Amino acid sequence: MANVQQTQAFYSLTLSPSSAPTCAITCNSIPGLKNQDQQIFEARGSRIYLYYIRENGDKSEVKLETVVDQDCFGIIRGVTSFRIPGTSTDQLVISSDSGRIALVNYDQAKNAFQRVHLETFGKSGIRRTVPGQYLAADPRGRCCMLASAEKNKVVYIVNRNPQNEIVISSPHEANSWANLCFAICALDTGWEHPVFAALEVDYNESESDSSGAMFAAREKQLVYYTVDLGLNHVVKSWSDAVDYTANMLFGVPGGQDGPSGVLICCEGRIYYRHDKASSLCIPIPRRSGPTEDPNRKRIIVSGCLHLSRARHEFFFLLQTEDGDLFKLTMELGEDAQGRKTTPVRMVMKYYDTFPIAKTMLLIRKGYIYIAAENGNSKLYHVNDLAENLEFEAHNNFSSDDVSSDPAEDYTPTYFKPRGLEFTSLAFDVPGLHPLMRTKVDNLTNEDAPQIYALQGTGSSSVFKTIRHGLEIQEVVSSPLGEMPYDNVFSLKHRSSDPYHSYLLLSTQYSDRTTVLSIGDEVETMEDSPFLITRATVEARLMGADTLVQVHARGVHSILESGAVNDWPAPEHRTITAASANERQLLLGLSSSELAFFFMGDDGVLNQLEDMPEMSGKITALGVGQTPEGQQQAKFAVVGCDDDTIRVLSIELDSPLEARSVQALSAAPTSIQVISQIDPSSGTNVNYVHIGLASGLYLRAVIDEITGELGEVRTKFLGARPTRLFPVELEDQQSVLACSSRPWLGYNHPNSGLYTLTPLVTDGAPFTAATGFVTEAIRGLCAVQGDSLLIFVVPNVEGRLASQEVGLRYTPRGMSRNLWFPVWYVVQADGNTLSAGTKKRLLTAATDAAKDGEGDEGMNGQENGEESMAMEKHLGLSRGKGHWASCIQAIDPITSKSVISTIELEENEAALCCTVVNFETKNADLYLAVGTGQHMSPGAKVPGAQTPKGYVHLYHLPDDGKKMVFVHKTEFAVPIYAVHPFQGRLAVGVGRELFIYDIGLKALLRKSRGLVVPNQIVSIQSKGFRIAVADVSESVTFVVFKPSPHNRLIPFADDTISRWTTSTTLLDYETVAGGDKFGNLFVLRVPDQASKESDDTGVGGYLADERSYLGGTPYRLELRSHFFANDIPMSLQRTALVTGGQEVVFWSGLEGTLGILVPFVAREDVEFFTQLEKQIREAEPPLAGRDHLMFRGYYVPVKGVVDGDLCERYLKLGYDARVRIAQEVDREVKEVERKVLEMRTRVAF
Amino acid sequence: MADKLRTQQQLEALQNKYIGTGHADTTKHEWTSNIARDSYASFQGHPPLLHYMSIGMGQGVERTRVHCMESMVLPCGPAPATEEG
Repeated sequence: MANVQQTQAFYSLTLSPSSAPTCAITCNSIPGLKNQDQQIFEARGSRIYLYYIRENGDKSEVKLETVVDQDCFGIIRGVTSFRIPGTSTDQLVISSDSGRIALVNYDQAKNAFQRVHLETFGKSGIRRTVPGQYLAADPRGRCCMLASAEKNKVVYIVNRNPQNEIVISSPHEANSWANLCFAICALDTGWEHPVFAALEVDYNESESDSSGAMFAAREKQLVYYTVDLGLNHVVKSWSDAVDYTANMLFGVPGGQDGPSGVLICCEGRIYYRHDKASSLCIPIPRRSGPTEDPNRKRIIVSGCLHLSRARHEFFFLLQTEDGDLFKLTMELGEDAQGRKTTPVRMVMKYYDTFPIAKTMLLIRKGYIYIAAENGNSKLYHVNDLAENLEFEAHNNFSSDDVSSDPAEDYTPTYFKPRGLEFTSLAFDVPGLHPLMRTKVDNLTNEDAPQIYALQGTGSSSVFKTIRHGLEIQEVVSSPLGEMPYDNVFSLKHRSSDPYHSYLLLSTQYSDRTTVLSIGDEVETMEDSPFLITRATVEARLMGADTLVQVHARGVHSILESGAVNDWPAPEHRTITAASANERQLLLGLSSSELAFFFMGDDGVLNQLEDMPEMSGKITALGVGQTPEGQQQAKFAVVGCDDDTIRVLSIELDSPLEARSVQALSAAPTSIQVISQIDPSSGTNVNYVHIGLASGLYLRAVIDEITGELGEVRTKFLGARPTRLFPVELEDQQSVLACSSRPWLGYNHPNSGLYTLTPLVTDGAPFTAATGFVTEAIRGLCAVQGDSLLIFVVPNVEGRLASQEVGLRYTPRGMSRNLWFPVWYVVQADGNTLSAGTKKRLLTAATDAAKDGEGDEGMNGQENGEESMAMEKHLGLSRGKGHWASCIQAIDPITSKSVISTIELEENEAALCCTVVNFETKNADLYLAVGTGQHMSPGAKVPGAQTPKGYVHLYHLPDDGKKMVFVHKTEFAVPIYAVHPFQGRLAVGVGRELFIYDIGLKALLRKSRGLVVPNQIVSIQSKGFRIAVADVSESVTFVVFKPSPHNRLIPFADDTISRWTTSTTLLDYETVAGGDKFGNLFVLRVPDQASKESDDTGVGGYLADERSYLGGTPYRLELRSHFFANDIPMSLQRTALVTGGQEVVFWSGLEGTLGILVPFVAREDVEFFTQLEKQIREAEPPLAGRDHLMFRGYYVPVKGVVDGDLCERYLKLGYDARVRIAQEVDREVKEVERKVLEMRTRVAF
Repeated sequence: MADKLRTQQQLEALQNKYIGTGHADTTKHEWTSNIARDSYASFQGHPPLLHYMSIGMGQGVERTRVHCMESMVLPCGPAPATEEG
């Protein structure tokens, strides 16, 4: 399937994987850690992650560290972990769409997940009767259950055998026909037979009864399934009807610790049920306040259990759909034997309000992890477990006097939500989901474009500016005055010192050096031993305690005793370049000669008499680092202006003997030889880093024996000559490469690969940089323009840096002002109270309070800012059938804020927008906003009005900073697509496409065409050609025949339904799009159709062409198809790096940023197709899904090579790599280079 | 005859194992209900799709999931009354 060779093939790469968590679980899977030291095992999209919470001594800094992540190439639906009795680590279980259960372990030696068992129980794919939707594990680690949405359940019993191997049983099925499963959980039964509880509805009777009476009388059953370990089967042991609205189950501790049984979470209520105990019920408290509907019932969306086995105490933390967390405790009475096993009452206490969690985990170290449904996942530190019931006694609620009969009414309880009281935010896990729209644009004239993104829902929505880069934390930035400093060195006083003592700033321009002393403060040193009347070429601490300063006219070395040795440069010659390590010093003279020194133990530099001449002027030098425990490095690299570099031996027995030569494309400006860890072998290897005058950066390996250079990697960094500076970062040797931007080269902590990432800095490029270590700071120091910048790089794990501007509601669309860097964002939230309604309610409440009690109730608008922050924290007020919506103008560059806002009233919701430059209005810009009114998302509210639509037009004066309402035009249906078209406006109204021009009181219709079958959701155009996407019927190409015909003629459509979300025109004939099922596709108009559509006038064939099979005369050809497992929300053809090729950039709802790179050469297509095939065989995906089936989930993958799979090559074992390399007729290193270059050439 | 019997048995086994296999007398209601149930199960199984719908409906993912689950009970209403005869 994947071998279909098309005229155009793409290489699909993920730049940033999906960040939306599917589920998470705590586990102890790293061997050797304490039980308290729990890790988090999380699934996001098709990847699994293992996180570790790293905290420093006093817990002031907490970090969630990714231990390992791995792509499973399958849709992960559930994860769990359990401890099989007698084993030392937790067993991790993955349920995915593979129809198999995967048991995995964390392998610490390889730092990877290792599969233990893979058992097939059903067909692959997500089907309603194949288990995998639900996953639950016995708390004592004896078995686990998988259930499907309908009918099937399967239990696996897991054991450890005497050889310490894990044995998994054959599947035990518990199927019941026509039975829907709403939730499952495992009961805690102590060491008795394991029991699983399920919420089930039998639809058999309601379906066959045509009167509907059986449907009305349907029941939800709580069913117990007992796993009989002796007889090896599963039986349905108990069932009872429960509240029909039940949606979630939690197992209550049993055995020694509690009464066993389950908590059943229903709409508005929580029940405790068990076959051996009486039921309890407690209402879920509702929010009180003037803007809250007192009758709205909440459901529980997530929860976790805390159980102290030692003290036999437990409690639950349950979260409602508003995000409010309640602590639920059970009071137990004693039974006949005096054991505390009879539940007497339940108590709920309002705890705190968090973002809505997909999964919430309570970690024993004292943290709550919120795997957030929308936005960043968060780690909260628990300061107090709210054990004191006296505190905030009004927030305590109990189950006393509440009937446990679901049919009976109950008195609702209310509470007032507040800010965080018992917890504090410890760590924010960066995430991009839900990513509503992205647009790549370069508004700041940087080297690389930025990604402008709309993210989030409700009040936590943001407008993000995303850059590829590492964020820096500025410590000090102080101006240096007039002097243009171009070099900076920081030195220790003695090699045994832990911190730096001197900072040398040097300037070629005025031939001077400034010496600063580093202590508690950095200040100018008046009586330094250094020579300040010359520019410093190189400064370094050599030997134990000799400070060596190289300047143009000689070498100035200062011994510990204070004695100074000067070595003058030979007559008529100056020193142009120098490099040193702990013992060796190499100088390049203006006469192209090299001078070499070796430092003896007395701290005196001994010169080698021989001064060999190089082929050209020496521009750069690099001496290898002194290896640990040795006195001298083996090699030095010399770069000359004849565009060559030479590797020389600098060992004392073969000094300055040439080893190898390498030609370059430009003169080298800077060379560093640094020993770094090679990820494939895990050993230290000497790398030479070369910066060229052309802005190029090269990195090559020096062969340890011969001194040959190999494995050259190249990257273009920017327009300025590249200068390199060795720095130490997180205990590894790294390189800071300064061109028009500073780049940091380091081994990535997760992948282990050498990564080059720019630093995100404001202002001028760096001229020079050096490490900077003091008692307080372990960071870097750089000369940036005319100031000295001291900064730290806090985190090298992520590769994207972002800035945020807060929005009000869920963003729906954005458009950029054509001339100014201003973005317009339309936002709308369904079932939410609008700002106007809220204000009215608040005023009414305040008035009522005033009438009643005089002064009180002054909490309304007075503290506006505070209430805004509170609203961000607590979320927006809900209201069935209401819409809140606004249009905002955002300036992400200078003020980095919202500059103007228009709130929409009358239940209108802004859905799409575009900036349009009407031909009749010259350069005046207008913003067209398509809206919908009285829409009912989801269930229709009874008595709601029929939906309508409008197109609003706003004039954009004052550099686009203001939006002035011009007029609005009414339509019969909501408007989902507007697009500028030939100085007019194209509007999609239902299934019709209209072209409008601006009028005085409304838009004026110019042309109309019936083009798609259902609903237009996206319009793209090039020239007179328009690509129109339908909500379910893919893309139709339409041509506009201008005046006098004024006709819109659809001429090519698609053969299969695609529920299109967004499209982009790649060229005049090709459209790329994404659909709601997570596919990416590329469609192309056939040549014949394309030609005919371009015929002038409507006299040609096209207008009279007969429709084919009820559609247009021609059909689009499918060029590429790929399943991405994320819903593409934006696509764009753009370049992402300086001088890079154009790619198709796409962003998905779950936070995925991906690209499709067009292959340039046919042989590359063949190579990567081969490689993909080999890797597929060598390393089948972890969760057991077939890779080819996964990528061809809905439509067979076509014309796309999965780059993410190809990149797995770098992680394979050595044997597998060699074997695959042989299969594709390449060297291992060459395959690695090709795989890496595919990414670095076009992206990051 | 034996062949026919075996085919019949195989079909029955299939119908038992896989819901929606269908038979000669599958009604429109059975067929549409079956398709609708398949769709609802699929919506729940694909996290991005469920998330997409939840954002559209302005509610949490869990509520959308329960909604999908509940819709599976009787996706197309009760079966139309069959005429006896």
